[in-house]
This record gives sequence, structure tokens and C-alpha cells, in this order.
Amino acid sequence: MTAPLLSVRDVSVSFGGVKVLDGINLDVKPGEIRGLIGPNGAGKTTMLNVISGIHPPHHGDVLLDGASIVGRKPSDIARLGLGRTFQTSQLFRGMTVLENLMTGLHHRTSSGLLAACFNTRRHQEEEEATKEEARQALEFIGMSAFADRPGSALSFGQQRVIEIARTLIGSPKVVLLDEPAVGLSLNRLAEFDLLLRRIRDEKGVTLILIEHVIRLVMDVCDQVTVLSSGRRIAEGSPDTVRNDAQVIEAYLGKELRARHPAS
Amino acid sequence: MTLFGRRNVLLAMFVVAAVTPFLVNDYYLFIANTILIYVLLSIGLNVLVGYTGQLAFANAAMFGIGAYTTGLLQVRLGWPFWLAFPSGAVIATAVGLAISLPALRLKGLYLAVSTLAFAQFTQWAFLNWETVTYGAGGFKTPPISFAPLPFSKEIGLYYLSLLFVVVLFVLAQNAVRSRFGRAFVAVRDSEIAAQSLGVDLLRYKALAFGISGFYAGIAGGLYSALLNFVSPEGYDLFQMVLQKSMIVVGGLGSIVGSILGAGAIVVILEALRAVKGVQEIAFGAILVGFVLFMPGGIAGFLKAKLRGWEEPLHRTQGGRPPPSTLVTPSEKSEVRS
Ligand SMILES: Nc1ncnc2c1ncn2[C@@H]1O[C@H](COP(=O)(O)OP(=O)(O)O)[C@@H](O)[C@H]1O
Ligand SMILES: [Mg+2]
Repeated sequence: MTAPLLSVRDVSVSFGGVKVLDGINLDVKPGEIRGLIGPNGAGKTTMLNVISGIHPPHHGDVLLDGASIVGRKPSDIARLGLGRTFQTSQLFRGMTVLENLMTGLHHRTSSGLLAACFNTRRHQEEEEATKEEARQALEFIGMSAFADRPGSALSFGQQRVIEIARTLIGSPKVVLLDEPAVGLSLNRLAEFDLLLRRIRDEKGVTLILIEHVIRLVMDVCDQVTVLSSGRRIAEGSPDTVRNDAQVIEAYLGKELRARHPAS
Repeated sequence: MTLFGRRNVLLAMFVVAAVTPFLVNDYYLFIANTILIYVLLSIGLNVLVGYTGQLAFANAAMFGIGAYTTGLLQVRLGWPFWLAFPSGAVIATAVGLAISLPALRLKGLYLAVSTLAFAQFTQWAFLNWETVTYGAGGFKTPPISFAPLPFSKEIGLYYLSLLFVVVLFVLAQNAVRSRFGRAFVAVRDSEIAAQSLGVDLLRYKALAFGISGFYAGIAGGLYSALLNFVSPEGYDLFQMVLQKSMIVVGGLGSIVGSILGAGAIVVILEALRAVKGVQEIAFGAILVGFVLFMPGGIAGFLKAKLRGWEEPLHRTQGGRPPPSTLVTPSEKSEVRS
């Protein structure tokens, strides 16, 4: 059995006395695409905030590559190889698309302030290399032609995809995606599972995917974890989860029951 | 095509600035020197407010700390200007770094109020810590000498200020085009995304505060030498309002804008001396006019109207909607700009 790349151990979080996460466990293997689903308010985003260090858990531990990351600053956790995107667009609106991507390389570049101020040779080279890598990252998502557009001039769906590329460019080991398909056009949605698989296969990135587009989750995920009211109510292959009575009750509801009358 | 592009305009402005001492009388040379000092202040403040998005009100205080330190080290301890001046800049930088510490926890209005409180405290210290600061009446500083250079104090100080403006403009311009500028804008546009890309918020906020403190400290030292006098009222809330108007009028998030804004505001204030009595009202009206009709400041206006004024970060114009394998026709129509 491969050791998990990311482990969440018995994590609990409360906001104002209300338990938003209640003793959650999660083990994600390297190279896995893990789905995280559940009704609104189930605690999915809170879970990502705990893992990425935005909200330290009140109880429990989070391990990345076997080492605890609880209590570390979000920027340090990012440096350790954890990338993420957000439920709402967090593109830097005052930057062009290319500059957004170059910012994703921040922690992998090292020019100091003086080198930058005096525009030293080494700094110029690093800046050129950063630009080139950003161009390649744009090519990866098929949006090269957008390089010089201001972030504020993109559609919501385009912003979301650029944000994924902006995280990937920093060579993370794990990327957490919070409802990335929201705002995508139908065409793009059709290609989206392909993009997710390419991220895993070509970039070697392990993914955790929060998503309400159930078809996408079922198509692309190796394992699915279902949260409801801060508890894990099911976990397993997409098929297992799809047929789990508790899941159907809590989340998938009538719609799915109608589509799968046999279950 | 780019005859009136940024580079040419800046070069022309530099040439004009370089020959100014030969063309104008002492009074206008004093005004020109004041502009140079305000350019330094605006560049530093723009890094903090325009680029990093920190709504701080301590710049006038740091300006004052630079001036007081430079002046007091000469008067109280007998230090030469050439030692007191850099010390003033170092102290102002240190104060800038120190007030950034609470800034990690405070945002928006809370940061504004806490830095205002700091500014008021500084003002109170200038006024009431008489055993050190000489209180409300202020104090005279010894005239500085440029010997063995063949300059009068006025002309020497003017060229010293111009030298600082040129060097610190180029350094700031380079800094904001680098990973540092991108980190600043990232902090401004989305703190949560900046962190998740490995940008340490405390570090970059502190850096922005430190830079603005350094620029204000240099400006303060020069200003004390220009006036040969230091007193509390030069560094009060109105001073802060003045500096903020300069970066707003010049263009938030534009280093060139800081030059244009500082020049514009000093010239406007001078021109308004003609209408004494309604000076403040006229100044306010002009500011409102700028905010309403030039929301991106002078730099934003030039960027939109002339070629060759584009800057890295903060680009407002894009090309035509490009084709993309992942873009649908409906999306293309959405991104029209
Ligand atoms: N910072 C916060 N302060 C207080 N309550 C919060 C906070 N963040 C989330 N919550 C609450 O936690 C619960 C789970 O939210 P969230 O993790 O966003 O759910 P999901 O992403 O699954 O829709 C919700 O009831 C929400 O109101
Ligand atoms: Mg959510």
C-alpha cells in the first residue's frame, strides 16, 4: 500500500460553537483524483481552508508527505507543495493574464530586492525564464492568446481556468480545487475532465476536487468522499458512493434515485 | 508614433529639471525643489497604497520623522548633515517597518484608523516633547554647505534632490516590474490567493511600509535642509491629505503617475495663491474633478489616450479577443473590452 501524500486526521473545526467539521479523516494517495462532495454548508470549503492553513483546525492534524503542516503559515504550506483555487474568482484583476501566471512562480524564484531594483543580469535572466514558463503554462490550458489581456477583462469561467494554471505553474504536489467548474461554458465543461486528467498525468499532480457537477466527479475521480453537516458519511469508488443509501438521502436526492431506479 | 511616449516625456522632463536652476529665480527654484521632494514622497506612498493596497495614513509622520531626525542630530548632537541625513532615512525606514507589524492583522478602515492614531501621536510628540523637539515653535537647522563643490546651498540642494529623484525613481520602477511588484499587487488584489501562491503577507506588507518609510525619510531630510527649519505643522494631517491627493491625481499603482501627481498638485496649490480666501474650496473642487473625470489619474488618462504609456501591472487595455481552443463563441462576446 502506498503511503498517503495528504492525510487529514480527526480534524474538527467549530465556528461560534457550531461544529463545521467533526472528526474528519481523509487519506489521499499520490496520483489520485479525489472527489469531495456534499450539500451546501457541509464543510467542504472549510476543509480546504484547514488543509491550506487559512483556518487552523481546533483539533486534529494534517500531514503533507508525512510531515504535519498544522500551524504553519499558508504561504509556507504553499511552498511545501500545496496549491489551491477558490470558490470565487481570486484572479489578480490589476495584472495581465501572463503576470498572474508569473506570480504563481513567486516562491520558485529568488531574486532579492536589490537585484530587482538594480535590474542585475541574473535578475533579468530569471525574469525572462519566469515569463517563458508562464507562456508554457498558458499553452497547457490552450489560452496562449490571452497572455496580455487584463485579468479583469476575462469571463468568470476563463478566470477560473487561469487560476488553475497559476497554481500549477508553482509545481505543487497536491492541488485543491473548490468548485472549479462553476462558470464554465458547456463547451469548456466537456473538455474539463480531460484537463483534470492531463494535470494528473502530465504534471504528476494529485487533485482534490470539490464539485457540484456530479457527472464530472463520477467521471474523473478515483475515490469520492461525501461530507454532510461536517461528517464524512461515505467514501469509496464513484460507483460505491453513487449507490450508498445514506448519500442518496443526504445529498444526491430524488434526482439520482430517479435515474438509477435499481438502487 | 511614440514621440509623446513615457520615455521621451520623462527625458524631456529631466532636461527641463536639469536646466531649471539656470532659468528661474530663487523663488521658483524653491518651488521646483519642493516638487522634487514631493515626488519622492509620492513614489514611496504609491508603492504602499497604490501597489500594495494598504490604506495607511502614516506617511506624513514618517516624513516628519525623517526631517526631525536629520535636524535634531545636527542641532542637538552636532552631527554633520551628511551623517544626519542618511540616519534620518534609516530611522524613518525602521519606523515604517515597525508600524507594519499591526498591519498584518488590520485591514481597510482599521488600518487607516490605527495609522492615523500613530500619525497623531507623532504630531503630539513633535509638539510636546519639548526637551528634544523644541515644541510648537520648531527649530532652525544649520545651513548645509556643498564645499568643495562650486554650488550655492540652493542649487546644490536642488541637484541633490534631483539626483535622489532620478535614482529612486529608477529603482522603484525596476522593483515594481519584478516579482516584488507582482507580490505587492497580489497582496492588494487578493490576500488569500497571494498566500496560497507562497507570498508571505507580513513580509511584503512590511517591505512596502519600509520602502515608503525610506522614501519619506529621504524626503524629510531634504525638506529640513530646504527650509533650514523644522516644525510640527509641516507634517500634520493636511500634509497627509496632500500626499494622498498626489497619488490619486497622478494615478494609483503608477510610479510615473507619482511624478505627474506631485508636480500637478504643487503647481495647482501655487496657482491657487492667486485666489486667497477660497484656496481650500478651489483645491477641493479640483480634487473632486480629478476623481470624477480622471478616475485612473493622469497616468491612467495618458495610458488610455497615448501610445507608449503602458506599464507592467495595471494594464487597462487589452488586444482584440484572441481565438482559443477552449473558448466558445459565447465567451468571446463576454470578453469584449
Ligand atoms: N469563517 C466562518 N465563520 C463562521 N462560519 C463559517 C465560516 N466559514 C464557514 N462557516 C460555516 O461553516 C459551514 C460550512 O461552510 P463551507 O465549508 O463553506 O461549506 P461548503 O463549502 O461545503 O458549502 C457553513 O454553515 C458556513 O456558514
Ligand atoms: Mg464551499
